[in-house]
Amino acid sequence: MLGALPGAAQERVKITWFVGLGTGTNEQQIEVQNRIVEEFNASQDKIELVINIAASNQTAPDILSTLIASGDAPDIVGPVGFSGSNAFAGQWLDLAPLIEATGYDLGQFPENLVESYRSLDGEQLLGLPFAVFPGVLYYNVGLFDEAGLNYPPTEAGVPYVMPDGTEVPWDYNTVVEIGKILTVDANGYDATMPEFDPTKTIQFGFIHQWDTLRSDFHTFGANYVVDEEGKVHIWDNWREAARWLWEAVWVHHIHPSDSWISSDLLLGNAFNSGNVAMARSMLWYTCCLADAPAWDLAVQPAYNGTIYAPIDMDTFRIHKDTKHPEEAFTVLTYLLGDAALDLLTVYGGYPARPELQDAAIQAKAETYPSVQNWDVVARSIQYAPVPHHEEWYPNFNKGQTRFQDFLTLLRSDGGADIDLEAELDRLEADLQAIVDEVQ
Amino acid sequence: MTEQVATLGESASLKRTRRTRTLEQQQRLWGWIFLSPWLIGFLVFTLFPMAASLYLSFTDFTIGQPPNWVGFKNWENLFKDPVTYNSLRVTFRFAIIMLPVAILVPLGLASLLNSKYLAGKRVFRALFYMPYIIPAISGIFIWQSFLNGQTGLLNRLLRLAGIADPPDWLFSPTWIHPAMVLIGLWGVGNAMLTMLAGMQGVPTEYYEAATVDGAGPLMRFRHITLPMISPVILYNLVLTVIGLMQYFVVPWVLSNTTRSNPETNFINLHLYREGFQFFHMGYASALAWFLFIIGLILTLIVLYSSRRWVYYSSGE
Repeated sequence: MLGALPGAAQERVKITWFVGLGTGTNEQQIEVQNRIVEEFNASQDKIELVINIAASNQTAPDILSTLIASGDAPDIVGPVGFSGSNAFAGQWLDLAPLIEATGYDLGQFPENLVESYRSLDGEQLLGLPFAVFPGVLYYNVGLFDEAGLNYPPTEAGVPYVMPDGTEVPWDYNTVVEIGKILTVDANGYDATMPEFDPTKTIQFGFIHQWDTLRSDFHTFGANYVVDEEGKVHIWDNWREAARWLWEAVWVHHIHPSDSWISSDLLLGNAFNSGNVAMARSMLWYTCCLADAPAWDLAVQPAYNGTIYAPIDMDTFRIHKDTKHPEEAFTVLTYLLGDAALDLLTVYGGYPARPELQDAAIQAKAETYPSVQNWDVVARSIQYAPVPHHEEWYPNFNKGQTRFQDFLTLLRSDGGADIDLEAELDRLEADLQAIVDEVQ
Repeated sequence: MTEQVATLGESASLKRTRRTRTLEQQQRLWGWIFLSPWLIGFLVFTLFPMAASLYLSFTDFTIGQPPNWVGFKNWENLFKDPVTYNSLRVTFRFAIIMLPVAILVPLGLASLLNSKYLAGKRVFRALFYMPYIIPAISGIFIWQSFLNGQTGLLNRLLRLAGIADPPDWLFSPTWIHPAMVLIGLWGVGNAMLTMLAGMQGVPTEYYEAATVDGAGPLMRFRHITLPMISPVILYNLVLTVIGLMQYFVVPWVLSNTTRSNPETNFINLHLYREGFQFFHMGYASALAWFLFIIGLILTLIVLYSSRRWVYYSSGE
């Protein structure tokens, strides 16, 4: 009798899903996410999934922190990367007991990806693999053709062939060499010529597109920011990465400064503007290449003979204060399972589950017919440096801000005149103070 | 009979008193009812958060964790934190540039618009006020484009004028504050309007009498206009001082691209970052109270000094 009453529908357990810390806030994504929620709810009589999408990923952290502080934390948060998750370190539920209780098959994911979601002490599993965004090199086909340059290689260990036929290693020195040829001013001079005027640049050779300083550092090799004794390190290879970037901006002029990046020439989305020949980024950047001229993919350059291609990984997390962990886990497995391909397509992600990878690439290939080298995506996963470039350390949010401040300093107008080594020392000292605040 | 009249009189008096009291009580009740939305709002959204933040300033509260009492630790850290000192220096440096501009420019504009020789006053008034109604965020984005060091319109004009290497306004520690003053000037329409209203309220007889006595335009402005509108100047001064202590939106929007520029780290932005980006809510609460105390002291100084330079024609 009670089951026939209208109120019976309200007995379904309500699970809230918060979107916005990473991707998921644009119109097309909202449409797909809403459809997935509807489909889930139609298939259920025990759980009602309610989605809460932030206006943008800039406002999302404030909204989520307010929800948590007011005791109204969402059950599921995502898609969210390592950095977004680390910003809320200590808030995520250990999934291991739920996996054990439900017999959820972890074998469907590559083991190394599962392991990357373990807590530092290895005792908790705080997430499951969903989307990976391998680090790749985007290049503008037309600008390479115009300059008479060969395209960058698509495999590690394959040399780059210079215009005169000589073979050179595909590394960051070569990027500078060809980057200069690809950097052109309004008078038609390129950056190899003495007449080149960097104040009148109309085309740049290379950019670390929408980067973080730590991802830039990790292109020259990975390491931990804080060692086991609590000491902060700006390692020598990271100092070399900073030196390379600084020279790329201020000495070779192949990389735009921040002022150029936000100018009318590059419009804040440099590679998409068609005025940058090469961009190091992750696969998620396919989100934002709608206006870009024909482009293709290559492997990232090597440092000392090894490619270090920082990778981003997104997943969905369950909040530790959820009142319904079993139901939240059911939703989580739905998002990682039946809904995964639709979500991955609209997020621009590459599936962590190998069985979905071909379909995901097929969807991308239809969107970007100019791209021939999609095989670079799968290959680049193995070049991902360990530890991750967004690895957690104490007082993470404040430290990350300090890292980014350094990047802006290096690339902003006054960056040409800084004493780089002294600034790196200062960065190290400041980070130590930041870490010590909470030690 | 007399006793009866007296008794009736007392009874009527008592009734009147009772009715009067009832009316007073009713008026008081309705007064409270009409005030209650504001009072409830004040208690719930202002007084309670203020009291809570005072308590939290003595705790290590962070999002998702219960607060633990840490005594004066946050307040001690506040005085040791070099970022706090730097953000205070940035705020005061900007205030020293902005404060005179925020008063003198609207005063000058209001004087021009009050001139009887100016044609098209209404058009100018609307034009000067119009930027004030544009949402701040939109305005700042427009200014960002205008001030861009490479392709911004301002630097293009400067290059045409022969300045080969104009400043990168938003990224230069030297030029960021003048750039922010420029952005701030866009919003002087409101202050200009209040000053103009004050000027138009000055009785014309004063000017006529002064003119008869041989006073020129500057003398009339100095000895009649300024004293007569000094209460309006005080009003704008107090609002500007408080506004400068709360200066946030412009540096917050700009700092998304100019983050390393230490000259954009105003005290209010420092507070926001500590609270909402680093989740050090306890420390941020201490910073909020510190900022409140500074703002209060500065406002009291301005109000105290006003005894010497503000003239109220109808008395205080």
